[in-house]
Parts: sequence; structure tokens; C-alpha cells
Amino acid sequence: MPVRTPRQRRVLARVAPEQFVGRGEQLRELTALGSARAEQKGLLLFAAPQSGVSELLRQTFDELFRQRGGPTPVYFAFARTDAATTAAARRFLQTFLTQVVAHRRDDPALVSATPTLRTLLDLAAPQDYEWVERLVQDFERAQGEGDERALVRLCLGAPQQAAAHGARAFVMFDDIHAAEGLHGEVALGPAVAQAAAQWGAPFVIAGPRRRLLDLLNGSLPLAALEGLRRLHLDRLKEADARALVEGLAQRLGVALNDETRDLVVQQLEASPYLINAILDAARAKGAGLTSFREFQGLYVDELLGGRVGRRYASVLEDVAATPALRRGLLRVLYESAAHPTGKVPAEVWMKRLGADALEFERVVRLLHMHELASFHATYVETTPSTPWRDFLRVSYRLQVAAEPRALVVADTLVEALKRAPQTMARHYRRESALGLADVLRAFNFQRVPASLLRYDRWARAYRGLAREEAQAGLSAETDALPLPQVVHAASCASFHPPIAQLCDEERCTVAHGFESGAYNAGGEVVWLAVEVESKLEAGRALAELWLERLEQVAQACGFDRVRFWLVAREGFSGEAAELLSERDVYSSGREQLEHLTALLSGAGAGGSGEADEFAIELPMTEDAELIAAHTVEQIARRMEFEPEAINKIKTALVEACINAAEHSLSTERKIYNRFRVEGDKLVITVSSRGLSVPVTLPENGVPADKNGGGEGTKGRRGWGLKLIRTLMDDVEFERVDDGTRLRMTKYLRK
Amino acid sequence: MTELPETPRPSQGPGEVAVVYAGDYVNKMSGQRIERECLTRMERGCRALVINFRDTELVNSIGVSILLGVIDEAERRGARVAFSNVSLHTLKLFELLGLTRLVVLADREEDALATLEEFSTTPPGH
Repeated sequence: MPVRTPRQRRVLARVAPEQFVGRGEQLRELTALGSARAEQKGLLLFAAPQSGVSELLRQTFDELFRQRGGPTPVYFAFARTDAATTAAARRFLQTFLTQVVAHRRDDPALVSATPTLRTLLDLAAPQDYEWVERLVQDFERAQGEGDERALVRLCLGAPQQAAAHGARAFVMFDDIHAAEGLHGEVALGPAVAQAAAQWGAPFVIAGPRRRLLDLLNGSLPLAALEGLRRLHLDRLKEADARALVEGLAQRLGVALNDETRDLVVQQLEASPYLINAILDAARAKGAGLTSFREFQGLYVDELLGGRVGRRYASVLEDVAATPALRRGLLRVLYESAAHPTGKVPAEVWMKRLGADALEFERVVRLLHMHELASFHATYVETTPSTPWRDFLRVSYRLQVAAEPRALVVADTLVEALKRAPQTMARHYRRESALGLADVLRAFNFQRVPASLLRYDRWARAYRGLAREEAQAGLSAETDALPLPQVVHAASCASFHPPIAQLCDEERCTVAHGFESGAYNAGGEVVWLAVEVESKLEAGRALAELWLERLEQVAQACGFDRVRFWLVAREGFSGEAAELLSERDVYSSGREQLEHLTALLSGAGAGGSGEADEFAIELPMTEDAELIAAHTVEQIARRMEFEPEAINKIKTALVEACINAAEHSLSTERKIYNRFRVEGDKLVITVSSRGLSVPVTLPENGVPADKNGGGEGTKGRRGWGLKLIRTLMDDVEFERVDDGTRLRMTKYLRK
Repeated sequence: MTELPETPRPSQGPGEVAVVYAGDYVNKMSGQRIERECLTRMERGCRALVINFRDTELVNSIGVSILLGVIDEAERRGARVAFSNVSLHTLKLFELLGLTRLVVLADREEDALATLEEFSTTPPGH
């Protein structure tokens, strides 16, 4: 008697359903497609590399297998190990019959077995016996006759035969790209598409998105695939990737802290495959992930000899079969990755590879499909993925340059550790960007109060007012500004790469649109919007500098009608606002942008403390530092500090909290305060995650930045640390993996 | 944080002295309110300003930077600024950050007014 499927038992899936994160939407769509109520239709699944498409399909299989009642789920992945089309077709027939029989018998254990066709016939349910027997006999006959075409047609036609006898199936083909290159007369990819379209049952064809797209535009029979739903599977969202790391760490018993978790997600680019590999490696070695050092140690080991390295190496072996070609490929990939633009002309690649046109075309096509390089007809660009480029670097040094392994390991580890804070800083900067592209996309011909795009007007009317007061004023404004409809918005760097040297990609946007309802040349306009980095009001020189840069971009790109929009978090100095007004340039501060966004959307340190230790966690909100100040006041009073000393402690703490809030770009927006009474001294630590607060601020202002920010502030800011050092007895920054921890001490006796 | 008290009405006419009261915590928001009030007064013709810190317990560096902006603006317009009723701790902070060199300091509001009265009635340029 077959055993009935327990509710959550895994059949093909490799992780439990509750631990499969970030793909809920796609899983729902696929299971709906395979449900009893689904209409007959197919779906093309375009998968990004390492996006976990196979596990998504296996989860779909399990879910449908458990649900019962609907079509039989069938999962089949093409593999290059089949070598020949007939072998692949035969394996498909066997997989299909195995999974159909298992489902009809509700016998999940059968799915992972490899019964012969004759055994399957014995196991088939009585109502299926006849058609299964006929299929097996036909197969044996076709095999005996050596007719490859007939054999392939017969195997791929099995779902149609089954459906005709009431056994409807929902077939999911994975790794369709592996069907190419198999030896045989029949091109299997087109044959699969053609057959699936005739089954009269829903199906899925999944594969690497670039290859699937190429196939659709080339060899696949377009007529058969017309009208199919297309589903795109991208990388995991960062929040989902964090949940994946946490879930795996818990399941595998790997110690983890938040800082390292975030670095894992950033450095591994939210790839489920790479995350699984690192967590598995940690479990196998009994290592933790509670510091950047631990993680980078595991990462380097994985690159050099673990799953990650083997995965990339296996792709390279697939791309370049001979050792000589592989070494040549490593060399050109490494060199183009080291090139400032990452791009190398195709002719140079061919020459360096020593390959003929045919071989070169095959190599770059496969690299392109795996998204390890991009081939753009005239040049090849190595994909700027951190793990991939790290792999290239270590492989090149070991296999081409023949450097000592110990040296490569040590260098890679040191570089990875040095890079970690930059990786996190880049993440924080990206997260803290104001999202101008999204704001621009929401314009859609709406009209907004002119003050929202004219900083001089805003400053005159609303600066210093509470949000509600400003809101009321804006509602009463009669001067409305018509916005265009933006039809395309992308980073400025993607139009004009040199701008990437001057600001983060997401902080400068080019938006193409129309100013009037009719899409005609007269209404065309290009907005160039930039988020100017300035801690305080941006000054005139900075505004002029950015105007000049935007004008250069417009000229270089040949934009005719342009509109510039400068955004600075703290707004603009009077002189800058005047200049921008004179030049008819739009300008906004953060508050304006918040009002604008609302309008466009239609919405008018923990730890266990001892008895003499206190800890509070503050949100980074207006005046939260006062709560810390009042808390420390009570503690200092209890310690019998003099009132003057108490005031100094309070002021220093307020400054430390402000620094944390201003500099960190923390995404969690929290400040952790700890107050420890140690005999005759009070030790206060203020920590936050995010960017490190610059330890060596200039005495009179903000640190110099690439924009020359701070111009116009007349040295009025940047006193926080100086003040703290004056007011407290000992001040030092403690080293932390992520963010900043400032330790301040005040002695009773002084 | 308490609300900023209203500035007394009598100080309205050109050439007169205005008094602005700082709140208990001078930070960015309340600093901007002071700044706004002072600019409004100067636009209406005041040539002398008293900022009274009688309620102020705590000042942070952002608040100080805004006060410096007010002093710069007053200087640009030929107006004078006095601070009154500044607590000892706040005074030390101002000294540390160089504000006390730029303003008239008075223990009481009346003293500040008396000092500035003479200045405000002197025609510009004298």
C-alpha cells in the first residue's frame, strides 16, 4: 500500500516550504497554472543566473503533488550529461511516467526512484494500464527501429497520450538551454516547444533569460509559443535574501549577527545559490558568521576550493573544453575585468583566445548566456559581479600567473576585508538616496505647487515651519507647475559613463518625457535630475559646478530640450537659490521632495546589562537625543556629579547622537546608548550601524568630498566631535565591523 | 521641547529692537524658528535683536550653527544682535564655539535692550 503524502513532506524540493523565501508570488502563479481550474496555457520562465529557478519549480511540483485533485505535476530538467537527444528524450519519457504513476498512486517515494519502464507498467493504476502499456510498447518498437525522429516525437508526445486517457499533466521543463548541443538529428529545444503547444495541457519552459530570449528570436517555433505568459525571475530582494540567510543559519546551527548577515547579502549579491554555499560551508567547518573576518575567511575558501569556485569552474569548463582554451579565456576575462571600462573589442578577444570565428562565437555566446560576460557585437564586457570577478582574479593568479597559493589566499582575504566597509558604505548610500528616478516616473502630467521645485520660494514661505503648516500653505498655493509625463528614466551614468566618477549611480537620473498629452516632437523634454551631496545647504559654487556637469551631459548626449533639477537634502544657500532661480533651474530640498512624493502618490544596543549598566535604543528622529540626555542626567545625578559636569555630559551625548544620525546613513535608523557606572567614572557608548563617522573631521567643518561640499556653510558645522572631546575626559572610537561606536568617559574626581 | 514664546508686539517699527525668545532646547527645528523670526523682524526694519535664552537648558551644535547664520545675516544688514539670560553652561558652549565675540551679552533682557536702544536709534552709517 502506498503511503499517503504527509501535508508538508518534501518530494523534489530541497528546502522546506516555510524556508523557501522571496518567491511567494511566482510560486502562487505557477501552482495556479497547474491547478485543476487552470485553463490550458503555457508559461515561459526567464531566469536570472543563480536566481533559484530550479528550486522554484521543485517547490511548485511539491505543492501540486500535495494538493492532489489537479493535473499531475511533472518536473524535468535537461542535462548535458544526456549527450544525445535520444537519451534526453528517453529520460523524459521515464521521468514523465514515473511522476505520473507516483502521483496517481499518491506515492511520493516513487518519484526519487528509477524504475524501469516495465516496472512502471506493473505499478500503473488499473485505469492507466492500457495507455501506459501502449506507450511502452511503441517506445520499445521505435528504439528497435533506430528511428531517432520517431523516438523523440513519441517521447515528447507522452503527455498528449496521457491527457487523451484522462491523465492530464502539468509539465515543467527546466534548463532548456541544456537541450541544445546534444548530439542528434533533432533540435530538441524547438521540438519541445512544438510538442508542448499541442498537449492540450499547461506547461512551463524555463531557462537562462538571455538564452531563452535568443531562442525565442531564433530557433524556437514562435507560432507555437505565441500568447504565452512570460514570467521573469530576478535576484532575490534584499529583505528576502536577509531572511534566507537568517533561516539557513538557524536551520544549520550557524551563529550569525546582523552586520555579517547584511554583508553576506551585499557581497553575494542576494544570490540564493551563493548564500546556500557559504552557509553550508560554515556548517561543515563549524564556523560562525559573527564577524566580517569569519565570513571573508569562508568566502575565500569557497572561491578557491569550495562549491562557489567549483560552480564557476564548471561553467568555464563547459564554455572552454580544452585546458589551453580555458587558460586563454581566463586571461582575457581577467584582463577585461581589470580594464577601467570592463570592455574589450571583440577582435582583441578573438586574437588573445587564438580561436577562429566559430569557436569565438560559441565561447562568447555561452558566457553571455550565463551572464558572465556581455557580447555587444563589437566588444565584450566582463560582468561586474563581485564573486565572479574575485573568482577570475584568484583563478588567473593561480592557473595563469602560477603564483604561490598561500600568497593568493592571503591577498584575497586581506582585500576582501578591506573592501567590506566599502561594500556596506555603497549599500547605505544606495539605500539613502532620495530615489529621484521613482519621483520622476510618478510625474505623469500632474500639477504641483511651484514652491516644491523652487527652493527660493520654499525657503521664503515654509522653511522652519512644521510639516502640517507647510502642507496647509502648499494646499493654498495658486501657482501650480505642470509636470511632464516621464516615459523612461535611467541613471545618468548609463547615458554618460564619466558621470559615475562624480556621484553614485542612483543619485543622478536622466528622464525622457513629454510636456503635453500629445506625443510629438514639440513636447519632448529631457529632465536631468541630480541629488547633490552636501551636508548643509548647498552653496552657489556647488550648484554652479553641478549645472556645468549637467550641461556637459546634455551636450554629450545631444539632448535638445532639457530641464535641470538640483536636489540637496538641506536645501540651498540664498546665493545658490538665487542663481538657480536666475538660470530657471528647478531646486528642492528633502522636505520639498517629501511633500512632492506624497502629492504625486495621491496621499495628500542591546545586550544584557548588569545592575550598574543601562542601555537604551533610540530611533533616529527629531529630538530623540533629548531622551538620551534626560536619561544620562538621572544616572549622573545618582553618581553625584556636579551640575556643570552633568550639563557637559548631556551636551556631549546630544552631539554624539546627532553625529550618529547625520553621518551613518543607517537603514535601521537606530542609535544604541549604553551607560556604565564604573567606580568613579561614567562610561557612555553611542553606536549606530551604517557608515563610519569620520574619525578625523577637520577642525572647522565637514570632511572634504568630491563635490567640494560644505561650500557656503562658512565653517559653521562639524564641531560635534571637537565639542565632545572638550566636554568629556576620554573619548575614543571603538572598532566595529559596521557603523560607528563612540566611547566617552567622564570622571567624578575631575 | 516647549513651543517658542511669541515675540512681544511693541517691537515692530523700523529702527526698533525686537526680542526673540529661544525655547528650552535649541536644535535644528527651534533654531530655524529663531532664524525665521529674526529674519522677519529685520525685513520689517529692526536694526537690533535680542535673543533671550531664559528658558534654554540645552543647545546643540546645529542650533549654534543656525544662530551664527542669524548673526551673519544681521551683520550683512547692519543690525546688531544681543544674547540675554544665557545660562552658565550655555555661555561656556557659546564661548567655546566663538559666538560670544560676535554678539552683545547681557545678563537680563532689559540690559540688552538698553545697550541696543542707542544703536538702533543711530541712523545707519553713523
